[in-house]
Amino acid sequence: MAILQTKNLSKVYNPDTVPVHALRDVSITIDKGEFTSIVGPSGSGKTTLLNMLGGLDKPTSGSVWVNGEEITSMKESKLIDFRLHNIGFVFQHYNLIPVFTAHENVSFIMLLQNRSKKEIRERADDLLEQVGLGDRKNARPVQMSGGQQQRVAVARALASEPKFILADEPTANLDSTSAMNLLDIMNKMNREQNVTFVFSTHDQRVIDRARRVITMVDGAIHKDEYRDVEETAEN
Amino acid sequence: MKILAAIAWRNIWRNPARSGVLIAAIVAGLWAGISVSSLSNGLIVQRFNNLIEQDLTHLQIHHPEYLSEREPWMVVRNTDSIFRLLDNDERVRSFSGRVLSDGIIQSPVTSTGVQIIGIDILNEPRTTNFHLNLKDGEYLDSDLPNPILIGERLAQKLQMEIGNRVVLMFQDIDNDLASAAFHISGLFSTSSRVYDERNVFVRAEHLNELISGDAIIHEIAVILYDAAEADSLTAELNRTFDGIMAETWYELSPELRYMSDFGDSVTFYVMVVIMIALAFGILNTMLMAIFERMRELGMMIAIGMSKARVFMLIMLESVILTLTAAAGGMILAWLSVRYMESNGVDLTVFGGDSLLEFGFDPLIYPFILMSDYFAVTLLVIFTAILAAIYPSIKALRLNPGDVIRE
Repeated sequence: MAILQTKNLSKVYNPDTVPVHALRDVSITIDKGEFTSIVGPSGSGKTTLLNMLGGLDKPTSGSVWVNGEEITSMKESKLIDFRLHNIGFVFQHYNLIPVFTAHENVSFIMLLQNRSKKEIRERADDLLEQVGLGDRKNARPVQMSGGQQQRVAVARALASEPKFILADEPTANLDSTSAMNLLDIMNKMNREQNVTFVFSTHDQRVIDRARRVITMVDGAIHKDEYRDVEETAEN
Repeated sequence: MKILAAIAWRNIWRNPARSGVLIAAIVAGLWAGISVSSLSNGLIVQRFNNLIEQDLTHLQIHHPEYLSEREPWMVVRNTDSIFRLLDNDERVRSFSGRVLSDGIIQSPVTSTGVQIIGIDILNEPRTTNFHLNLKDGEYLDSDLPNPILIGERLAQKLQMEIGNRVVLMFQDIDNDLASAAFHISGLFSTSSRVYDERNVFVRAEHLNELISGDAIIHEIAVILYDAAEADSLTAELNRTFDGIMAETWYELSPELRYMSDFGDSVTFYVMVVIMIALAFGILNTMLMAIFERMRELGMMIAIGMSKARVFMLIMLESVILTLTAAAGGMILAWLSVRYMESNGVDLTVFGGDSLLEFGFDPLIYPFILMSDYFAVTLLVIFTAILAAIYPSIKALRLNPGDVIRE
């Protein structure tokens, strides 16, 4: 079942001065439960595509559909609310709220959704347990390693129960061990809870885990391949 | 809202040094502003009360042309009826008739022009508190023949002491020159040097004998329970009696009204000036806070925090920061004003003795009304909101896709 779809998506920066074609006629469909990597060299358009999929940027032409709903023509306020309830984000720089603890960072998005206190507390506890940070829930970002912060970011992305999670270079700032650990967690959630992940990455460790790899070159899809991936030792 | 307030509070303390400097500036600004305002309030209200309670009273009745012509024959008619009306009016606390004359006071050393005020020694102390200014000697109920009260400074000028004889020269009711010897029974000192040098007090009946031989009155001074009733009673008196002119204190002394009006708004003006200066400090701090957190704010918008909430967050940070500082500033100011209110501030050490030349008491008892604290709080909130508008708009214009990538 298609959860995410783009139709002839194009993005041109500076159309009136020095046009830069960041995306050229991109049409893809991502089904529920996919574990997809968007790969390509720097400037190939993978982050631009991810921003379009997340409704963080508007295309010059074409459209993005999430769960059958077109988001490209949505008004900004409606789009923000749509993101709150449908899309999870994991950023390269973690982007946790530094004045909040791990637990508060995970709870924050649920507070925005106006959920009950009890539900928020229990779900934040559960998610932090799932990412292996049950004992670090009162730590602030500055007291955690990069790997731990990124795991909190994953827990935060899952907290809102989104339709899918977009992760922009999630392992770019992590050491090998932390990166593998994070991938294990995301992989497990994908397999056991059928959470859909879409990554932009040029990290081979991530690419190796992806069951679908979309390769971009000069803003266009160069290759789109599905693969059988061996499960990790942990699994 | 609660969660936004929690984030705002923690964000304020993200950079304790920067917030601390701004808080210190606001505390110092409010403390200084409120202290200066309270000093000004004390100065003006003391001057106001001195004038009203020592001499001017809330309303006065004269012959319609007396104040412009000052002719001795321009006396108040129908005094019995007027006194009866005043006696029966519940608004009136007390009143007293005065006999006035412009004349010259002479000592063996020198002479000078003065206003001679003949007072009713029973009713004048009920109407004004001038008698409290007696610094030495006795009041006009002295056993001395023709007692007179003169100012300490005038006594120095005339080189006279208590018990000495001075001569008063003035016009009688027929415009003939009259003179008589008076004995200094007491010396007074008010907060106005000019007043002390230009006014002498004698008993009304003594002056009457010399001016007309009859019991005439040039001025009836009326003190009320509530100054706000002055307008209605003045109008009633003018309606009821022909040939008199009743005037309120502010008609008799317009400059006192300007001063009183200024006194009412001095706190506002002082605080507006201080707040304008502080607004730039708040603006600078909030802008720095926004620029530092572009990516974080972008992330919040990206994950689903509405721009209205982002706007509210910045506003709350500004308001909470400013109100925290304002609370400190106002507590400090309240303590300072309380201390000054009970101990007074003696401006003579700062050369404030010269205030006497302008009729102001150099020992000031500052005060500030609770309503002024409330007005200052509103002004602080308004300033904080105003100063946060630009940074908030900056935050609203963030494109999350751009700032997160940076």
